Amino acid sequence: MATILLVEDNENQQVLFAEELRLDGHDVAVVGSGAEAIEAVRERPPDLVVLDVAMPEMDGIEALGRILAENNRIPIILHTAYATYKDSFMAWSADAYVIKSSDLSELKAEVSRVLANREKPKAP
Amino acid sequence: MSILTPYGPRLKVIAMVLAGGQGERLYPLTKDRAKPAVPFGGIYRIIDFTLSNCVNSGVRRVFVLTQYKSSSLDYHVHFGWNILSDELGEFIRCIPPQQRMSTTWYLGTADAIYQNIYTLEQERPHLTLIASGDHVYKMNYRAMLDFHLEKRAELTIACIPVPKNEATRLGVAVVDRDSRILDFKEKADDPPTLPGSPDLCLASMGVYLFNTPELVRQVIADSKTDSQHDFGKNIIPAMIKEKAVFAHDFKDENKKPQKYWRDIGTRDAYWEANMDLVEVDPLFNLYDSDWPIRTAPLQFPPAKTIFNEEGPRGRRGTLINSLVSPGCVVSGGHVERSILSPNVRVEETARVTESIIMDDSTIGRGCTVHRAIIDKNVHIPDGTAIGLDPEADAKLYAITTKGIVVVPRGMHYR
Repeated sequence: MATILLVEDNENQQVLFAEELRLDGHDVAVVGSGAEAIEAVRERPPDLVVLDVAMPEMDGIEALGRILAENNRIPIILHTAYATYKDSFMAWSADAYVIKSSDLSELKAEVSRVLANREKPKAP
Repeated sequence: MSILTPYGPRLKVIAMVLAGGQGERLYPLTKDRAKPAVPFGGIYRIIDFTLSNCVNSGVRRVFVLTQYKSSSLDYHVHFGWNILSDELGEFIRCIPPQQRMSTTWYLGTADAIYQNIYTLEQERPHLTLIASGDHVYKMNYRAMLDFHLEKRAELTIACIPVPKNEATRLGVAVVDRDSRILDFKEKADDPPTLPGSPDLCLASMGVYLFNTPELVRQVIADSKTDSQHDFGKNIIPAMIKEKAVFAHDFKDENKKPQKYWRDIGTRDAYWEANMDLVEVDPLFNLYDSDWPIRTAPLQFPPAKTIFNEEGPRGRRGTLINSLVSPGCVVSGGHVERSILSPNVRVEETARVTESIIMDDSTIGRGCTVHRAIIDKNVHIPDGTAIGLDPEADAKLYAITTKGIVVVPRGMHYR
């Protein structure tokens, strides 16, 4: 069991993804914007952030940089409908990049993988 | 352009010139300026050598990563190096820390690149050249680029053979016959020597050429560790095990029997590198029009000497074996084996020997200045002696290991 912060602006998707992750036994908190995500991480750092990219106001790439700026050990999975961000150097700071799908098996697999890796120090 | 490039004719290279160092060992020359902005050779700043290398090599997209005390450097780069065409995508531009990926200043050389990933993202260069803004040398980066492409390297490091005793403060590479780096030791007490030359080591010059995606991956991975975030200490040793990392034998454009590359690390090294320039045949060649060193344009009248009176107390403006910049007036004084920056005045019967006098300073009437560095805007009162009495000098000035007196910028005399 781990604490996960789900950052997602779409309400339907908030419910869907949060429920599924809870079914896997995780403690999931949900926020709806990049700015709220930064605040939430600052207040109570989760074990993992699942971060949408295309959001109004601050997008997920910017939020990624700002979260890492304050705490570069927090694992972050970018979770987006778009493949285009995958080539962005900024996005490479994330621990995983998952394309949104109604089939959540890839997201769940990446959540498990990243959580399993999180204690291991990463050699460059 | 090499036909070997897998990138085609539109190979895009960006240079990131690291110019954020404090240069503490050069203090007080770095009291009010970053090390790359320290004046050198009369009219130059140290960074001019790296920027000239970039322009002469055709690497014309250059970011200068500034940090500490950057205003003097920023002014110099803006005023002196705003010479490329933005319309053609060419530029030399200073960028201060953006704090996009971090809330701290640069923790090390690798962190300086990590914090500028956004800049790389905007430019998307195929290759990224990382160079230091505080080294003096002449290097054609294009030759390194061709080598890098030919070897299909992920990282190429420019290397130069140096005596073993100097290599203890540098990164040292061990290479195979194909120049691939097998081992790399940073600042080792007993650095590995070259095969067949027990007194020589193959030292890194701090010039790195990376395939950009690999660079980004490396600095991101490094950012999440507790390393010193340094290319020499952390990134290179980690990379050589898995990646194609090659040593490029520095081909000196200086055209002298011995290769010239200097990290002006200390005040004595600074003084010596300057004094080399006043020799009849200096090791470092400023006069080769095939590899010009440029700097900010100067708008001053020509240097001038005045008075030619006979006798031991006569006023006679004399210049011997010296570099004298525009705007200087040697008004009845004597200057020998010295370097004068623009707008220096040497008043009557003053003697300046083996010294470096920086911009807008005045050596008063009857002064003696011997083996000294006088920073900018210092007005030495008439009759002052500097460099003759170490005990008296030590009460007023910084003195180097080799006894060179350093008078800080704008020092006031009572």
